[in-house]
Amino acid sequence: MVFTIFTILALGGAFLGLALHRFWTTREEARSTILYAEIMKKYFAWLALRTIQMSRKASPKAWWKYLKTLPLWREPALEKWLFIGFYGSFLYLAASGFFFAVFIPRGLFGYPLVGHVMAGGLFAVCLVIIVLFRGRDFISVPKPAHLSLSLLDPRKMGITPARVRIWAFWLFVLAGFLLTLSALLPMLPLLRTGGQRFMFEFHRYSALASALAAMVFAGLELFASLRTGTPPGEGM
Amino acid sequence: MSRAGRTSLRALGGALLAVLVFAATAPGQTAAPAAAQSPKHLVWDGNRTMPVHLIPLRDENDELIVPTETDPWPYSARFTCGPCHDYATIAGGWHFGAMTTANSGRPGEPWIWSDTKTGTVLPLSYRTWPGSYAPEALGLTTWDFTLLFGRHMPGGGPSEPSDEEVLAHPEARWSVSGKAEINCLACHNRSARQDPSEWAKQVLRENLRWAATAAGGVGEVGGMASRLKETWDITDGPNLDDHLWAVAPSVKYRTVDFDSKQRYFFDLDYRPADDRCLACHSVSPKDEAQWNADADVHAAAGLKCADCHRNDLGHAMVRGHEGEAAETGNRAAASFTCRGCHLGENAAGEKTVVPGRLGAPFPKHTGIPLVHFKRLSCTVCHSGPKPKDGFTRVRTSRANRLGIYGVATWSTDAPAVFEPVYKKDERHRITPHRLVWPAFWAKRAGKTLTPLLPEVVEAAAGDILEPEERISLTLVALSQVMAEDEVPVLVSGKSVFAPNVDGGIDALEEAGAPADRPAYWGIRKGADLLPLVGDFDPAAEDKDPAVETRIQEFLQALGTVAVRPGEPAILVRKTLYRFVGGYLDISEAPAELAGAAGPGWLMDGKLLPLVPEFDVRTVAAKAGTEQTLTEEQVGLVLEALAQTSGDAEVVYISGGRMFRRAKDGSLVSDDHDAAGPVTWPLAHNVRPAQQSLGWKGCTDCHSGGSDFFFSRLKATGPLLTKKVDKLSAASFMGLGGLFQRVFGLSFIVRPVFKVVLAICALVAGALVFLAGLVALGRVAGFLDQR
Repeated sequence: MVFTIFTILALGGAFLGLALHRFWTTREEARSTILYAEIMKKYFAWLALRTIQMSRKASPKAWWKYLKTLPLWREPALEKWLFIGFYGSFLYLAASGFFFAVFIPRGLFGYPLVGHVMAGGLFAVCLVIIVLFRGRDFISVPKPAHLSLSLLDPRKMGITPARVRIWAFWLFVLAGFLLTLSALLPMLPLLRTGGQRFMFEFHRYSALASALAAMVFAGLELFASLRTGTPPGEGM
Repeated sequence: MSRAGRTSLRALGGALLAVLVFAATAPGQTAAPAAAQSPKHLVWDGNRTMPVHLIPLRDENDELIVPTETDPWPYSARFTCGPCHDYATIAGGWHFGAMTTANSGRPGEPWIWSDTKTGTVLPLSYRTWPGSYAPEALGLTTWDFTLLFGRHMPGGGPSEPSDEEVLAHPEARWSVSGKAEINCLACHNRSARQDPSEWAKQVLRENLRWAATAAGGVGEVGGMASRLKETWDITDGPNLDDHLWAVAPSVKYRTVDFDSKQRYFFDLDYRPADDRCLACHSVSPKDEAQWNADADVHAAAGLKCADCHRNDLGHAMVRGHEGEAAETGNRAAASFTCRGCHLGENAAGEKTVVPGRLGAPFPKHTGIPLVHFKRLSCTVCHSGPKPKDGFTRVRTSRANRLGIYGVATWSTDAPAVFEPVYKKDERHRITPHRLVWPAFWAKRAGKTLTPLLPEVVEAAAGDILEPEERISLTLVALSQVMAEDEVPVLVSGKSVFAPNVDGGIDALEEAGAPADRPAYWGIRKGADLLPLVGDFDPAAEDKDPAVETRIQEFLQALGTVAVRPGEPAILVRKTLYRFVGGYLDISEAPAELAGAAGPGWLMDGKLLPLVPEFDVRTVAAKAGTEQTLTEEQVGLVLEALAQTSGDAEVVYISGGRMFRRAKDGSLVSDDHDAAGPVTWPLAHNVRPAQQSLGWKGCTDCHSGGSDFFFSRLKATGPLLTKKVDKLSAASFMGLGGLFQRVFGLSFIVRPVFKVVLAICALVAGALVFLAGLVALGRVAGFLDQR
């Protein structure tokens, strides 16, 4: 129950945060006042309107059209199948894991569980290959820090969308590592019941962290691609 | 003076005294008797010792028993133990209160009425348990129930019915036998003299009120109430008309155990020894050798049954299953479940129970995924025999009448009980169960089946169910004239049938014999099989005179068969031998007997076989099997029952199927809920940890063909047929067999999968670590940007 509440709040918060970022950076009305209450009012009005617009546009056909525009299909065969495996496994893992965790009291079981385990293996392999060969593109370049109270000022921390995207990437990798570890260890004759219970919860919260990181990364990537006109994923 | 006479005088004196006392104290009598009658409850003073039970024995009239007097009565637990241990409170306990309790509790082993002749395996219980029938609904009185199952009952309950029940069934013989009061000694007697076999014998002799005295070794009981007239009463004393057959029950007390004040020494145990429990609760694999059978791991560690299965004066035994605390309101019960004692968890898995009682070890369960603790009972991995194909057939004390020793063999193979059958319990956790397939004749009304009592079936069936008896009678008759090394036999196909000491017949298979060998009566002499009357020429002058002497003996012997359709005769070629007026009559066979040969019954000018062909066909079909009925017999009995049951359809349940006669007279089988197996959870024997499932890894259960999921159980029943249910272990669990097979097969690649995951985790972890180091190095200025 705690995990369900936590998941709903975290994913909802991430969604609202990403939408706020977009509202803040693209809409004129966001800068027309300095009153937070006023900004929020306009934000939610914009969000409601946007949601209605999106829902009207959304259709399987539109989604399929959008999918076809992804640069993934233009990648060389090896990369293409690597990313198909990666995205496909991650989407299945997230969908099956969260659906059963939130809506099914019994948790994941049966064929979905078998699929989850198999997809988990594929995801781990794809993730490692991607990090090994593409990870270098996401090494951030922070300046050497100097001891100052300004280090505590968020406005001076240099939090930019590009850097958040990089942190999201590494958070995703870290979560992926923890997910792999928390899936592997319970299979080995090492953990007692307490350890198994801990690993079970750890796996779920790692999955939540992974989903949040993926959401932030994908949200920022999508937003950036819309602004620059390049298809999403082109930067990877 | 006799015991009866003394009692009558005492009763008269008592009545007179009562009148005088009433006259003297009438105005003030309302309060005094109530105080005098209030039960005395013993309260534990905290001392952990057991008081010596040197107490006066009292009979059912609450009179002191003097062992040396003439014809003393048996002791009564109600009046001997009752003064200190409130009898009414104890009577509500688990072992005695089935008829009166409002809470049936988790299903347990029902009483199984097994009658081989009619092919009945009928689960009965006064508790409302699934699959069990209420005895009273079938027309069974407490008297019937006591005679059927009293052998393994501890007294009380149905064997001590209320006075209203006794009056309602005057055909019962309670007034002769008395009631079997709660037998405290059945459990609490520490003496090695406690004899459950003696109890069973006394119950079957209808010596109910004497049974506890005899079984406890308190006294020696003779006589049989079952042979006495229904008008006999214990106050009548000995049966003066018969000192040999209808001898009235009497007690001869062991005077050595009495002191000079007529107090008897009971060697008692507050917590009964395991033997007392196991007398009625033993379960053993059918084909296991005694020396190779292991005890429960708890018993091997020195625990007694009663260490966990505790109770207070109310005798509401802790049964030890999860959920019992909530079911009974006895919160302490939670600490006597596997989970409670070993893990300190209650039924909901909360750590609210103090673990480790009696030194229970805390299990490691290393590497066992959590789902196992949510979906399985502890007993799945730890209790009962390990799963194997076809399951393990066991015998239980109560179902198979174990533990009654004597000259006769009491134990039976039927009913067939199987374990461990894994299925979901009332808490939806998979739990090992024991299983029995019911078999009974029933009237059908819509979907409802009402079982018929065996005696009803037997009465309607007539001689359809008696082929063995007829053959046996013939063989027993012939055995009167056999030499010491000769045994009369009936030969048919591969089978040779010979009489046994119980009045039945044993079937032996003759290796190498043709299956279509025609039936004949013969003599087994050593390893040789000879025809009863060998072929010879009666007209030959040099014939052996001993042959005709032998024929005369056979005819004389056959003449003693109680039920025979005609006079015995033996036809050899064209010569007919009969026994007429004490002499052997030899005559030429009439023309209508042409073609007949051998022994038979001469009736209406025909030579009928010694037993009908139906009998030979029936016993030959069943030879070497456990089944007691053929399809032909069932068809005939259904036809016979249909004639006595009016409009109601009569069916027979066996092997998980319901059999009925189709309109064309053929026997057809259908599914029916009532034909399904009856199950009840098992908890013992608990195996050592190294023998538990999962000890050798996941593949103990999760493999493409594991016995845990894929062993198959073929339904058993008294009917010899191929139309029987066959169920897989997974189907009992309500799980998909295909999924379990797929899931099991995934364990073949699991080692590789683990290696792949380990490499991935290692590489991903190293890269994350390196990235972190780089970022940290940059922030600290240790690393320059290139």
